[in-house]
Amino acid sequence: MPMSTIKRMSNILWHQYKTIFAHYPLALMGLVGVGLFILVALLAPWIAPQNPYDLMTLDIMDGLLPPMSKLGTGTTAWLGTDAVGRDILSTVMYGLRISLFVAFSAVIVGTILGVLLGLLAALKGGWVETIIMRAVDLKVSFPGILLALMLLAIFGTGVDKVIYALIIGTWASKARLTRSSALSEMQKEYIDAARLAGLANWRIMLRFLLPNSIAPVLVMLPMSLSGAIGAEATLSFLGVGVPITEPSLGLLIANGNDYLLSGKWWISIVPGLVLVTLVLCINVVADRIREHNNPFLQPRG
Amino acid sequence: MMNSSTLLEINNLSVSYPLAKQEDGDDAVDFFALKNISITVNAGQIVGVVGESGAGKSTIGKAILGLLDPRAVVNSGQILMQNKDLLASTESALETLRGRQIGYIYQNPMTALNPVLTIGEQVIEAIEANTDMAGAKAKAYAIKLLQQADVSMAEDRLSKYPHQLSGGLCQRIVFAIAIAAKPQLIIADEPTTALDVTVQKSVLETLLKLSRRNNVAVILITHDMGVVAEMCEYLYVLRHGQHVEQAPTATLINHPKHAYSQALMASVPRIEKRIERFVLPQAEQATIANAALEYLLDKQVDTDVAEVPVLEVKRLAKIFTTPASLFKPKQDFCAVKDVSFQVHKGETVGIVGESGSGKSTIGRLILGLHEITEGQVIYRGQNLATLTDPKDRRDLCLSMQCIFQDPYSSLNPRMTAGENITYGLKVHGLIGAHQAKRLAQDLMQLVGLQPLDSDKMPNAFSGGERQRIGIARALGYKPDFIFCDEPTSALDVSVQAELLNLLKDLQQQLDLTLLFVSHDLAVIRQMCDRVIVMKDGEALEQGDNDAIFEQPQHPYTKQLLSSMPRLTQLQ
Repeated sequence: MPMSTIKRMSNILWHQYKTIFAHYPLALMGLVGVGLFILVALLAPWIAPQNPYDLMTLDIMDGLLPPMSKLGTGTTAWLGTDAVGRDILSTVMYGLRISLFVAFSAVIVGTILGVLLGLLAALKGGWVETIIMRAVDLKVSFPGILLALMLLAIFGTGVDKVIYALIIGTWASKARLTRSSALSEMQKEYIDAARLAGLANWRIMLRFLLPNSIAPVLVMLPMSLSGAIGAEATLSFLGVGVPITEPSLGLLIANGNDYLLSGKWWISIVPGLVLVTLVLCINVVADRIREHNNPFLQPRG
Repeated sequence: MMNSSTLLEINNLSVSYPLAKQEDGDDAVDFFALKNISITVNAGQIVGVVGESGAGKSTIGKAILGLLDPRAVVNSGQILMQNKDLLASTESALETLRGRQIGYIYQNPMTALNPVLTIGEQVIEAIEANTDMAGAKAKAYAIKLLQQADVSMAEDRLSKYPHQLSGGLCQRIVFAIAIAAKPQLIIADEPTTALDVTVQKSVLETLLKLSRRNNVAVILITHDMGVVAEMCEYLYVLRHGQHVEQAPTATLINHPKHAYSQALMASVPRIEKRIERFVLPQAEQATIANAALEYLLDKQVDTDVAEVPVLEVKRLAKIFTTPASLFKPKQDFCAVKDVSFQVHKGETVGIVGESGSGKSTIGRLILGLHEITEGQVIYRGQNLATLTDPKDRRDLCLSMQCIFQDPYSSLNPRMTAGENITYGLKVHGLIGAHQAKRLAQDLMQLVGLQPLDSDKMPNAFSGGERQRIGIARALGYKPDFIFCDEPTSALDVSVQAELLNLLKDLQQQLDLTLLFVSHDLAVIRQMCDRVIVMKDGEALEQGDNDAIFEQPQHPYTKQLLSSMPRLTQLQ
């Protein structure tokens, strides 16, 4: 890619950022929040006080300590410890890593898959479109969680299996959205011009249809991200999600569930609050982006 | 014949839209939609306000009714209706004025009527709101109004919904609503732009009749010089919100004084006589020695023999089938029926017809964008449907190109102008990647654009400029045959004239063969050597330009020609 293109793209992005967030402090806070969460997740192995999955560093004597307690090693567990003596702050940092990784990979793969299938349906029509769109109908006729539970019952559990289940949950709405906007692009004359130029279908799809019909999907993206985080947490809480060796936020909440009534609130509440804050931050950003792209939702100035 | 009683007087009206402050610190200058406009309308007089897009014509109509956009600011001026200043009136005073004293006719009748109410409900609602009639009396009056507006079978129409009626009928119903309370003034904003020319003629006759009978003044806002020539006594010409010239219609059309009016009149395609080129003030001859010209003239072996027609269409037919559904059996719609014609090298053949006549479908069949139901298209002696060798087929197909109707949708908005022009050429390896930029610039220059603008995105260009980019794109393939699908119908008349001149120049220089589709008889008259008249998918008449326009044989052709508003009827 030539320098000028990169420069133009970054200019566009900067301009977009300014018009979307400049005068909306709440949305900006959300954006900063999301950024911080991602940073913490990425840096967890270096900034966490303890590696909660290294059994050598754990001491069962440190179990169930309330926040601000001193551990046997001399460090302070700012947010308390769980039943096996893991520092809650560290488990949450590592849990955030898993949660975000699962959600991001599922949404990215699901979106790519859905967008490509939607474009294909719009471009090809006929039986290709019928098969793709009936598959979409089939998918959306199941409640999301039920479908994921069924799939996990078939696949078995594991981080990769949860990602597959969430991909299957994500692609359909993207395919439907992309198809509808691609269909209206198909009516435009530049597509005819591309046909007259004798271009192959895949070129028309990727260079002509894709860039012009992707906008609604991009607007929806943050929303599906928070949806995927929530869905993964639900599945893990129910015990069909990620394995105990790689606990996500949902599994951490489930871990503390048994201790809630005995006054050991921190084990569940801390990862719960982090989950809520994370989803809230993403949703505030998502709302702002949606509002920006829908003139009917724009506040009258 | 001046009527002494002044009905409406607009004095020095200026309307502006404040623009948002730019972040870079530049103080945005407010956009003036109107600047010091003064218009006088006498009782019963039909006054035309003409100008190209962005002239501020519609703003005048909205300002009179107090329906300006909330962001608009009236900077100065008065609108006096019988010595009462409308700009100083309260909203409730204006509400009683709208409908009762001033009627409004909209551009698109299909959207002006409420689709979920019957015609009767809408007409009667207007009557009950603006007069003291109600119930059965209002209904009887509604029927009378529809009859006055020349709606046939008026009583039956009351129970119909707008979508069940044609555009022309809907516009007549809008007329009936506008005259319900016997207003003194009707503002008609492009009342016939959405209608076919034969319908336009009768709708305008009705408007004229209503105005005469009830002594209603009309402000006719339009871009169509033919329409004002037939309708108006007095004209105002506007440009960029500013007053250009005002004069009685005949004077203004035959002897425009201002340079802009002169250019405008020179741009209007005339139907009476075919001229070589439009005589425009900034007449740039596109014969600059250009590298692109060399590229275009350097074609592969020219196998064409003059005797063989470039394009031969034999008994072409197209049936669109709506697939059967649960509630409806499958339906066939015959868009093109048994059409045959030939196009020879270097000539321009025109297809003229109203909407739905199948004229664009023919082009799409020839280009292979639709599948042919029956008949053959023979291009350069080869039947494309039976040609199997992929390379021959590709070369043949690429030498047929198209100039599209809507410049706003015919370019890929996510590619630069240059990329739009050369993308296909690069994909096929017809030019190297390093030559592409150069070629795009040369082609841009050939069609009269700035070469360095090839790096800009399509949204940086105006409609006319985009259409030029579309022409450059078509030329890049070194075409022999170009299908022009109403290439100027979305453009202003002065831009249209420049573009038509460009097409003529390019045709001469490159020996192009054109098939030119248009609904505008005058454009066809100026552009084409031979003409095909189409209606409902059938070719009713074919012949030389002069023969069709001077001695039409088919009754429909005669009707079309007599419907066409003419500027010369004034003398």
